[in-house]
Amino acid sequence: MAKELLKGNVAAAEAALRGGCDFFAGYPITPSTETLEYLSHRMPELGMKERFIQSENEIAAINMVMGAASAGARAMTASSGPGISLKAEGMSYAAHYSIPFVLLNVQRWGTGLGSLKSGQADYFRECKGGGHGDYHNIVYAPFNIQEMVDDMYEAWDVAEKYRVGVTMFSEAVLGQMMEAVEMPPFKKREKELDWGVDGTGTKGMKYPTGDGWDYVEFELEKYNRIIDEMQRWEFYNVEDADYIFTAVGLPARACLDVIAKLRARGEKVGMLRPKIIWPFPFLGFEELHRVNPHVKGFISVEMNDMGQMVDDVALAAKKAGFNVPVYCYPCGGGVPQVKAIIAKYQDILDGVLKEKY
Amino acid sequence: MKEIIFAGFGGQGVLTGGLIIAYTASNLGLETVWLPSYGPTMRGGKANCTVKFGEKPGEAIGSPSMEEADILIAMNEPSLDYLEFCKKDCAVFVNANAVPESHVYPEGVDVTRIDVVELANEVGNVKGQNLVMLGAVIKKMGLFSEKEAEEAMCKMFEEKGKGAFNSANVAAMRKGFEAVS
Repeated sequence: MAKELLKGNVAAAEAALRGGCDFFAGYPITPSTETLEYLSHRMPELGMKERFIQSENEIAAINMVMGAASAGARAMTASSGPGISLKAEGMSYAAHYSIPFVLLNVQRWGTGLGSLKSGQADYFRECKGGGHGDYHNIVYAPFNIQEMVDDMYEAWDVAEKYRVGVTMFSEAVLGQMMEAVEMPPFKKREKELDWGVDGTGTKGMKYPTGDGWDYVEFELEKYNRIIDEMQRWEFYNVEDADYIFTAVGLPARACLDVIAKLRARGEKVGMLRPKIIWPFPFLGFEELHRVNPHVKGFISVEMNDMGQMVDDVALAAKKAGFNVPVYCYPCGGGVPQVKAIIAKYQDILDGVLKEKY
Repeated sequence: MKEIIFAGFGGQGVLTGGLIIAYTASNLGLETVWLPSYGPTMRGGKANCTVKFGEKPGEAIGSPSMEEADILIAMNEPSLDYLEFCKKDCAVFVNANAVPESHVYPEGVDVTRIDVVELANEVGNVKGQNLVMLGAVIKKMGLFSEKEAEEAMCKMFEEKGKGAFNSANVAAMRKGFEAVS
């Protein structure tokens, strides 16, 4: 199939439909609105007029998603940081009842209302739960639109396999920019679900009730399986690297430019790019230790103010056997400038920028 | 890799102009990223887009943001602020109707002034000022052949349901080609 230039938010919406999405409820917010807007005409075109709902608010949207998914729909909602804060209660309830669904977060920068700048300030929220209680969503962190399409296409297969929520960790610039992508064909769920509410009472939700150990063990077994089976990362120029950048999304793209520029002047740098951030790719760091145990330090480049992923980088590096400094360049809002990252790298070499861990 | 900034007021068609570059590059199988300014912009407010494309197939694009542009297209005077994100020896294409001739540029910058209003009027397509400018940029910088650019533009407008204006748009783009020939 020919490639087509699409906006990230539109490509995510079309890929969701191709992956079997048959219910959407959401409330508009920049910079995620194009997803909702596109689905508002695309779903009726595909005969799903009643299955697209612009809800009265965010809380209603997540509750509709929970209801639809409980009845067997491949349901999705999309928003940006502040809108998803409102959905936190629903996300926690969905996790408790083992309801699979997909959430697209087109992140802004900042706390509270934040601003429209691109951001990755929601790392903690998305990766460490977000709502109350103990749970995780599987969190994909694509760095180009094709990867977002591929991730979205897989999202419900994975969500239903483990019966968890899946979060797409997008960001304003990734949602707003256009790239050429190849869309996969429409697919349907391979096997009927053996759980769900269908009005006959024959299936039921099939999750452990109560607060006993059977519930805890069910949860632990589920999340441990995900941790083992969903390790995904990519290496760039790591074999001989002294310093390893760690970044996801668009900062990772900026780091590719940084690596090319620094390598051209003989600096040995590489990158470990997590493709999924929960579960964090601990295995990637172990593999890196086998390939190159001589790494002198890690540099986490993030689009937030204080550094968030750097905590996981430090833990993963330690677990893999690296006893080296872990630095962080949180660039604030907006895609980090290549020359700014290079300047921070120089600050590290000069001992000006101290390690965080 | 080529990096181009197309900037002006909202309503001057700078996003569309950049999009045509992206479509043309993509049609040729080149990796392309088009990034618009987004958020609460309005007609008459500031607007811009950044286009990056690989110069040979397989050349991937890293950051989509303004970094070190090869070409700045300024449809108004405030757009020249983006020189901050350009190479020292970049090419600047200026809307002669909106930027005074006395404007002072940094040393090393190659300036081409195009009177897009007059040229667009000559072909009776006053809304095609962005296309006149685009034609001049594509021709002078040798980004694509005239045929490649015209075909990609027509295909793009057809897909958007605006194919009816293709001949007027091609005429505007050709005015731009001629202006720098």
